[in-house]
Amino acid sequence: MIKERTYYPSPTRKDQKLELPVNAAAVAALSAYYAEPAWLRESRREAWELYAELPWPDRQEEPWRRVPLHEFPLAARRLVLSPPQLSTLEELPPCWLLPDLPRAHCTGLLIHNNGGVCYADLEEEARDAGVVLQDLHRALESHEELIRRHWLRGAITRPDFNKFTALNAALWHGGTFVYVPAGVRVERPLRTLTGYDAAGGTGLHHTLIVAEQGAKVTVIQERYSLESEPELNSEIVEIYAAAGAWIRYISLQNWGKQRYTVSVQNAQLERDAHLVWGSGSLGGAATKEFLRTELRAPRAHAVMRGFTFATGQQRLDQSTYQHQLAPDTYSDLLFRNVLRDQSRTVFYGMIRMEQAAQNSAGYQANNNLLLDQARAHSIPGLEIMANEVSCSHGATVSRLDPEQLFYLLSRAIPREEAEYLLVQGFLNPIIEHVPLSAIRAYLAEEIARRFWQAAI
Amino acid sequence: MNTLEIRDLQVRVADEEETGILKGANLVIRAGEIHALMGPNGSGKSTLSYALMGHPRYVVTGGDILLNGESILGLAPDERARRGLFLAMQYPVAISGVTLYSFLRAAVSARRGYGQRAHESDGEHRRSPLIPGREFRQEVRAEMAKLEMDRTFLRRYLNEGFSGGEKKRAEILQLALLKPEFAILDETDSGLDIDALRIVAASVNRLQRELNMGLLIITHYQRILNYIHPDFVHIFYEGQIVKSDGAKLAKKLEAEGYDWVREQFV
Repeated sequence: MIKERTYYPSPTRKDQKLELPVNAAAVAALSAYYAEPAWLRESRREAWELYAELPWPDRQEEPWRRVPLHEFPLAARRLVLSPPQLSTLEELPPCWLLPDLPRAHCTGLLIHNNGGVCYADLEEEARDAGVVLQDLHRALESHEELIRRHWLRGAITRPDFNKFTALNAALWHGGTFVYVPAGVRVERPLRTLTGYDAAGGTGLHHTLIVAEQGAKVTVIQERYSLESEPELNSEIVEIYAAAGAWIRYISLQNWGKQRYTVSVQNAQLERDAHLVWGSGSLGGAATKEFLRTELRAPRAHAVMRGFTFATGQQRLDQSTYQHQLAPDTYSDLLFRNVLRDQSRTVFYGMIRMEQAAQNSAGYQANNNLLLDQARAHSIPGLEIMANEVSCSHGATVSRLDPEQLFYLLSRAIPREEAEYLLVQGFLNPIIEHVPLSAIRAYLAEEIARRFWQAAI
Repeated sequence: MNTLEIRDLQVRVADEEETGILKGANLVIRAGEIHALMGPNGSGKSTLSYALMGHPRYVVTGGDILLNGESILGLAPDERARRGLFLAMQYPVAISGVTLYSFLRAAVSARRGYGQRAHESDGEHRRSPLIPGREFRQEVRAEMAKLEMDRTFLRRYLNEGFSGGEKKRAEILQLALLKPEFAILDETDSGLDIDALRIVAASVNRLQRELNMGLLIITHYQRILNYIHPDFVHIFYEGQIVKSDGAKLAKKLEAEGYDWVREQFV
């Protein structure tokens, strides 16, 4: 039974169409357009300087070795800000709200399209408790100090991490801001969608999630796009979990076929904080993700689950980093990839235990299932500075198991159907971590579509 | 009348030098008949069962397998199963991530021909349609009750973490839902305690009567035959049936072991 709930549209910007080249003038123009405080103008300006100085990453560098950077549309970029103007949810093109999810299953909804916000709402109870789900530009009006304290502070969510993060920090526009005050528990997920369907724009979304002491929240972030030409995307996600906070972050991307993405995501956990991080990567021409958790204080706890399903010529490349800096911390990562056709996935996994991380545990596993002529690279690593720790890592690259296949066939199940069941079974332990059955059903449908699209 | 006929069947294992495990097996099973195939370890009993079902590791080098007069040698295992052949395995495979429910539903849908219905019109999705969930759930729950299986098994991953006895019950549950014409039960009694054996045997007997099924019970011990009474007992030795008789042959094996078989047929 779904309870009737009251949702209030949150105040959002009403952006006009804005088009800028990528240059120093655009940095100032954006700051002026958003009427930003001085520190943020300065932050953008410094980031632009870094951007101008830094070279694009070199394929000599290990994390970039297998990224097809030469295919990325790096030259002659523009910023196109053209969100549609919506006043109610009903005006949304229905295709945006896939999957069909009952509104009452989420506490709040925030939608960005083409670089600007076009819809935001939040349930009354959460709003009254001080919960925020809003576009970053607007949130700066009410939560400037808080945003400033958490701005680009992650180990890798920094302008100097690489030229892509510098570009984002200088020219970001459109952003998701989630804030949960101390002790507030948001029981149903907050949902945020980021989409692009205008030609020529560069995606530079910034997501900032802050949960204060003892707060609890689930954030589901979905990404989709439709391109008419190759597009570039450089995204930053920052997550801050204060002492005892509980955050579940479900990060899904189903980018269009011509989108080239670098996504840098960082989570910082304080004492007793708990993070469940689910990552699903389905779309895009080529995607490089850096996903990092920093367990900075005793008993911080992080569980990471990820899946990809690569098809065609897709390249999905992930660098994960579990950084444990304090005693009694725990991290457990399991990423699974399914590959078909000529696709390729790359997984670099690193656990680093600092000397202070005594009595900590860190686990990492990456399993790859090859269906065709695809290739999976899996490069796990450990750096252990402490002596009293429990650590393990494992990587597998395999094909469908012939005994399992025979068992299913012997039960009348046709071969392709049997293969499909095994693929589903391979990914299910990951998908199970996604809350909301409607989203799991959507993912199952996307997996089915990828499996069946060219089955013989 | 429905028949399963094994005619001079010769089989070797792929990738192995050894010439043959089955050296000309002959057997005819008619609808409604219960046959027991007994033999010492290593005599080739399980090879026969895998070869009947079409396991790719077992290569047929001579002879034939006829289902209702038609050779099934050229058919893949799934096609054999759709035509009414079933193998309850000695070692059922565990499949993580696939629930018993979704597996059973896919299997039953395929056996009952839902899979042959038109593919979705867009030509992209070629997934086989499934039996309606409500109808299927009712049926599967009823069968589980008869096997005294807890219905929470439906949500568990297929055979994963199942005890030996639970796996065998799950095999018989599949038999009950797939309703084959001919079933091979390969060492179904191993791993079952006496209470579980009674329950499983009762279900097999009931299904055998209801479906007028032809049964081939492969076993090392006579024990299961106290509950499922065979019309014929065959002794399998070194890849062939060396002796056939009525139920009393099983008693003789139980009393005297296999030594006399070895002496007589070496």
